Amino acid sequence: MDAACTHNREIVTLKNVSYTYEGNRLINDISISICLGEDIVFFGAENSGIDFICQLIVNAAGEFEGDVFFDGRPIKDFDEIEVHNFRKGFGYLQRNFGLINNMDVFENIALPLRYHSRLTSREVDERVESMVEYLKLEHCARRRPVHLSSSELLRTSYGRSIALDPDLLLIEHPLEEQCLLNVQVFMSALQNRAFAPHKSVIIVTYRPELYTEISERFVMLHEGQIVFDGSTDEFARAENPYVKQFLQASIDGPMQML
Amino acid sequence: MYMSMNVPGFIKKIVQRILSTWNGVRSFYLYVVSIIKSFKSIRYLRFRSLYSIVVNQTRFTGIDALPLLMIIALMLGGTVIIQAHTNFPKFGIESFIGNLLVIIIARELGPLATAMIVVSRSGSAIAAEIATQTQNREILSLELMGIDTKLYIILPRIIASIIAIFSLIIIFDIVAFFGGYLLSISTVYIPIGVFIQTLLDAFSFNDLFITILKSLIYGILIPLIACYYGLKPRSNFEIPIYVSQAVVRTLLVIFVINAFISALFYF
Repeated sequence: MDAACTHNREIVTLKNVSYTYEGNRLINDISISICLGEDIVFFGAENSGIDFICQLIVNAAGEFEGDVFFDGRPIKDFDEIEVHNFRKGFGYLQRNFGLINNMDVFENIALPLRYHSRLTSREVDERVESMVEYLKLEHCARRRPVHLSSSELLRTSYGRSIALDPDLLLIEHPLEEQCLLNVQVFMSALQNRAFAPHKSVIIVTYRPELYTEISERFVMLHEGQIVFDGSTDEFARAENPYVKQFLQASIDGPMQML
Repeated sequence: MYMSMNVPGFIKKIVQRILSTWNGVRSFYLYVVSIIKSFKSIRYLRFRSLYSIVVNQTRFTGIDALPLLMIIALMLGGTVIIQAHTNFPKFGIESFIGNLLVIIIARELGPLATAMIVVSRSGSAIAAEIATQTQNREILSLELMGIDTKLYIILPRIIASIIAIFSLIIIFDIVAFFGGYLLSISTVYIPIGVFIQTLLDAFSFNDLFITILKSLIYGILIPLIACYYGLKPRSNFEIPIYVSQAVVRTLLVIFVINAFISALFYF
């Protein structure tokens, strides 16, 4: 899959990464490269280690073994200021959305623009207004997160994560608690972004089958190790015993579920 | 026998207490150092992103506290003035009434009462707000956006607190003097011209300087300590514990600093 990097640079590389938390080895010697423009889905069962992938990439997991490179630079070498600047380079849609509760939808989306961009306040407002319209959030633009539905929270968080138009977008479990009828606007926006040639999307999910039209690469983790790394076709054929067991939600297979 | 069994335990408790206090002071020192270090990234900060926080915090700490502050100033001012005017003549020192009012109200009571009001209203609110934001992973979310949370959260609160506390101290003094004067008229008559003149005679430039100094120190310390305890909870269960600690410790620090400043400038 790394062949795509002949055209685009590697945006994220994990090299022999292991991560241990409170004595539990959650990621076990993972090496993987993600190229600019590549869209990738990480999936696996609970405690498979997928929940730490995004945290490792953004340097929010704490101490780990191995190296993570962002745009060719090891993130371990970043000092505090460099960490802030490097984090401007990606959007991160957290599982719990991470919206600021004392700000309304408009202010939440405007926050990274007001803090980081050199746009004038009027330009920020215009950009946020168009984002609100694009994500069909006009009716709730002045509501705070506590008054939003689940899909409105998702779209607001998505709007905020792409406000700075980052090259890399990380998304954790976006559709797990959503009514699939209500997330069509989000899926269409995500599809537009995934199809953009120089934008990468990393999705971490328990529902990989929902992203077969968006992503061209699927990676499965089990007990902190990669057990499958293949294309959409290979994923759909489910010849890998781990993928087969996961997609069939079967208790019979190489994975022993608790 | 009883003593010999309990003395080691008692000493152990004292040692543990000292160590715990030392660790707390060290942890607070490291927190302050990390804030000072984060000022290196101030050049990346767009002040417009802090503007609404400064405005909201100043409104909450300053304007919203005015009714409570004015009532307390009125009552305290009235009490001091009534006591001074009824008791000083007995000792033949009524000519020092102006000095006493300036000493009691302007130098000590005004800044101290204002700081206590701000700690109990805004200090507790800041600690609870930050603690809730930490538990809701909002602080993490800000960090993941590349936002320096130390500058983004603490700096605007310090700016707002300094502005609000300075304004509140001035308002407290004015209300305490003149409101107290009006209140005391019902029991003791003093011509207004005489009252104002005694106050003006007693005031010095030093008093204004110390008011500004106290506003600065309290304005920095109150949000700093409140944010420190606000960032501490690791579960929802711990939020009320740390909010309570924030209020109690800030009050203690305020009283110690107030005594230190008085000793430094007036002793």
